[in-house]
Amino acid sequence: MIEAMLAAILILSLYAVESKDLLHGTIALSGVSLLSSLLFYVLKAPDVAITEAAVGAGVSTVVYVWAIKSMERSESP
Amino acid sequence: MSARAPSAQVLTAALCIAAASFALWPLANFDGPWPEGIRDYLEARGQDESGARNLVSAIYLGYRGYDTLGETIVLLVAVSGAIGMIGAAGSKLTPGYADAAQGQSPVAGTARRAHRRTELIDVVTGKLGPVVLVFGLYVMLFGHVSPGGGFQGGVVVASGIVFLGMGSKGAGLSPLVGAVTLARIEAAGFLALLLAAGLGIVSGAGFFAPPLRGASPVGYIVALNAVIGLKVGAGIGFLCIAMLGEAER
Repeated sequence: MIEAMLAAILILSLYAVESKDLLHGTIALSGVSLLSSLLFYVLKAPDVAITEAAVGAGVSTVVYVWAIKSMERSESP
Repeated sequence: MSARAPSAQVLTAALCIAAASFALWPLANFDGPWPEGIRDYLEARGQDESGARNLVSAIYLGYRGYDTLGETIVLLVAVSGAIGMIGAAGSKLTPGYADAAQGQSPVAGTARRAHRRTELIDVVTGKLGPVVLVFGLYVMLFGHVSPGGGFQGGVVVASGIVFLGMGSKGAGLSPLVGAVTLARIEAAGFLALLLAAGLGIVSGAGFFAPPLRGASPVGYIVALNAVIGLKVGAGIGFLCIAMLGEAER
């Protein structure tokens, strides 16, 4: 269970780095945060899980998306 | 990024991995006994001494109050820095707020670009915002008995404020998403935190100690949670709202 989540986090992180579409990368990062939050909950740290879900998956995604809206969406070639 | 040669990228990645391994090597190969004294002490006596069932709250507001003060100062500096950078970039901070009185969205430009938005975002975020706010307040105020606390509740409140900011379309505009209101709440929260921390000095209990000797210290933890939650929620919410206004310029 934990190994599967860690593997998914690794895959999503690599995709976020390699993705040429910044919006896709941001969504992948949001998924990483969501999975980390789930991982914290499984590891019996609900306090950290709440923070991670709110900051990582919520607020920071909004900020990233808004930043992408005001610039080029794809990575410059 | 793409200007660099692929070999340079590989070299950078290899260096990063090497540095990380160097830093983590002692941790991975640590075979001494784990420090158990403090853990056992807190497990045995933390609940009685602090009155908080959630030991995490008891530690970061009771035993390690200084850390929490440092955290809130970091957030205060971050907010000040972001506002300074937005100001230095030559743009008005949150230009939408002047228009809010005329019934426009506080998020500048959303009214202008209304044809590109669906009603979905407005309806969903506007309805979800208050629910998230209430949940954040619950997490904040019941941090001593259930998972959560000031910082955790504060960030949930901040996401609720962001929802309200995205969802309100003029008519249902909440004063909560006003930049001035949020800035005042944050400043007042920090002042209240300093006062609460200093109250112990006046009563002779010491800095960041529960001021009333006889009473259970759990009330002090609840008060600190509420103050920190308000401060963190207003601060992070203000940051997001300010950026929402800025990016749409």
